[in-house]
Amino acid sequence: MATKIRRLTLSAGWLVVALVAGLPLFGVIVGLWPSVPISEADVARFFAYNGLTYSITNTLFISLAAPLLALYVAFMVYSQYRFNPRWQTLEKRLAPLLSLPHLAVALGLVYLFSSGGMVFNALWGLFGQTAPDWLGLPRKSLLTMVLAISIKEVPFFLLILSALGRQLAIKDWLLQGKALGYTEGASWWLLVFPIMLKQSRLALLAAMAYSLSVLDISLLVGPNIPQLYAVVLYNWQTGFNAYEQANAFLGNLMLLIMLGLLIVSIYGHEWFTINRLRINAVMANPFKIARLSRLFTAWLGFFSLLTVAILITFLLWSFGWNTQSTISTANWSFSLWQDEWFFMQGPLLHSLNIAFFSSLLGVAVTLLALELQQQTNRKLPDYVWLMAILLPQLSMVYGWQVTHTGLSGSYSTGWIILSHLPFTFAYSYLVLRGPFQSLNQHYELVAASFGYTYWQRWWRVRFMLLRPALLSALAIAFSVSVAQYIPTLMIGAGRVTTITTEAVAIASGNEQSITAVYILVQAALPFIAFLIASILAQRIRGSFDAEHQ
Amino acid sequence: MLSISNCHIHTDNGRIELPDITLKSGELLVLTGPSGMGKSTFLHWILGDKITHADISGDIALNDIPLNGLNIEQRRIGLLMQDVHLFPHLNVIDNICFALPYSLTGSNGKKLHKSQRRKVAINMLDNIDMGYVAQHYPDQLSGGERSRVGLIRALANQPKALLMDEPFAALDPKTGALVSQWAYNQLQERGVPSIMVSHDIKNIPPQAQHLDLATYYHSTK
Repeated sequence: MATKIRRLTLSAGWLVVALVAGLPLFGVIVGLWPSVPISEADVARFFAYNGLTYSITNTLFISLAAPLLALYVAFMVYSQYRFNPRWQTLEKRLAPLLSLPHLAVALGLVYLFSSGGMVFNALWGLFGQTAPDWLGLPRKSLLTMVLAISIKEVPFFLLILSALGRQLAIKDWLLQGKALGYTEGASWWLLVFPIMLKQSRLALLAAMAYSLSVLDISLLVGPNIPQLYAVVLYNWQTGFNAYEQANAFLGNLMLLIMLGLLIVSIYGHEWFTINRLRINAVMANPFKIARLSRLFTAWLGFFSLLTVAILITFLLWSFGWNTQSTISTANWSFSLWQDEWFFMQGPLLHSLNIAFFSSLLGVAVTLLALELQQQTNRKLPDYVWLMAILLPQLSMVYGWQVTHTGLSGSYSTGWIILSHLPFTFAYSYLVLRGPFQSLNQHYELVAASFGYTYWQRWWRVRFMLLRPALLSALAIAFSVSVAQYIPTLMIGAGRVTTITTEAVAIASGNEQSITAVYILVQAALPFIAFLIASILAQRIRGSFDAEHQ
Repeated sequence: MLSISNCHIHTDNGRIELPDITLKSGELLVLTGPSGMGKSTFLHWILGDKITHADISGDIALNDIPLNGLNIEQRRIGLLMQDVHLFPHLNVIDNICFALPYSLTGSNGKKLHKSQRRKVAINMLDNIDMGYVAQHYPDQLSGGERSRVGLIRALANQPKALLMDEPFAALDPKTGALVSQWAYNQLQERGVPSIMVSHDIKNIPPQAQHLDLATYYHSTK
């Protein structure tokens, strides 16, 4: 009887985790089911769509360039900080830096460095001159997109490299490299980078899949003519006529082909780079270009400064600053905050509600997935659990939207929470997997010798030791949910508004001051979550943290 | 010739005043002593590594050239540790090529190209009857093979001296004794002065000098 109950419980558990982890794949498959019959003429019309080729190539370029740039920068930063006393500071600041939403970084760059931007104007103002427009960062362009994504992804890759670094004998390899006559910089590139590059495949794919189908920042800072592919596809997906529905189906197919191309390019880039580095290793090349890495000792300062500058800019705009004003002539007031508070309460409550429940559920399902794998001794590969961040969001959410409509689902926060769940789950899994799997089992063995049952040990030892990592996972899952745009918009059909959907809607217009208010609130939510998590984690003593994987 | 003089090691628990050490071409010094006495720290100091948990002072010279002001990569002193640290992304030949000097030239005085460098590496392996592991990756080698490839890689760099930190401790006693005798012969043949840290007093090659750090240790507690 007991065995039967255990089997039933395990099966129910597997069913829950399979449903959550499998939802992205389900969405993609449903999205590939044509809602209207597709003819050859439809295919021809699809390919004849004005600007499609540029749209696709531009998107591929961004999806390839931005994550790779971020990975290289992150590696150079990592190589400069890893054995430096400042590493501890950097590791502590990584999570809050990671919590800054993409939207805030993208718009922050525009507010600061576009023509009319604060830094841009201030710099030229120093010389008493008016800045030429062409020199500023374009408000909507490929360059702005690449910069925004790559700057934002550097902390993500640093987190990945930091976790990888703990499993590699980097210190000994560098010592060997130096004993053989190489500089430390050359040793990092020739000995450490090839291994880290191979192990960063999934992270690269996640960043590329994100860049491929990101909608909010594509709408706001991506090029206009032609628009980026995510915007074009979204317009088809939300269209009602047969032509748009046919294009939505073919567009989804195209998005997956683009993802396939990106996967091939990840392997191609890896093969090329490792081969080049291997040739340099065989030739004992001193690899002087590695000196460039030294420039990145300034990264922590730069990124912190940029974050502060972005937040200050938004604050100034929200208090009455504009492109025409100076500090003395600006009409400073709180009125915008007071006015907007009335409109903001609903979306803010929705954001909090959705993020709270989806992050809690995401972490709970993650624990279940990890526990089931441990109990059944069946470890599934990471990509199975991380499909939500490895597959293009637009394709999967489109499939969910079709299903949601088919089920005559209501436009309520419950459905939005469900649509955020795969993402909060995937990120929680990324954070918790290491601490959970490498937890020293001797603690539980000792507890067992004292007569504690399995579940008592689980709760009183394992869970308690994992509390700091659980808090980090909750904070990350919360920020992931707050920043979700596509699922909220498509499943909520615009009827469930959150701070993020409102911020994007307002930023699409010309109201920079109101946009600043919403972006600040959007950025504040994850920051507060991380602050609470770090305060609570500091109160827990003798526990096992994500940092000690 | 490697010479170390006026060397003092201060740790949390005590201090060691070492006698002056002079190792001529091909000579081997075996350092022994209890754990925590600073044997490995001493090796890392000679290598030029940053020492954080002890204070070491003294003069090191290699062929009468003082080394104290030079960093690791300028000293040209090889290092062989217990875990040989063959680079896992490179196969055995490429591990050896990585160690061959950048300026290595052929009989015509020209810098060797890729295939020529690989040939040099294969010759080194063939000379010790290990050509069969040339294409193997480090995880495909046995413990003894790894140690021997590690030594050949260190020698490929043409070091002016070699430091070994319990390089054969992970091998079973029989293989350890065979490999250490083989290693000593290799070092003697090539005339490289070497210092080896070891716990295994029984397997010290008969020709080697022996220094027991415990003899020079003064407790401060």
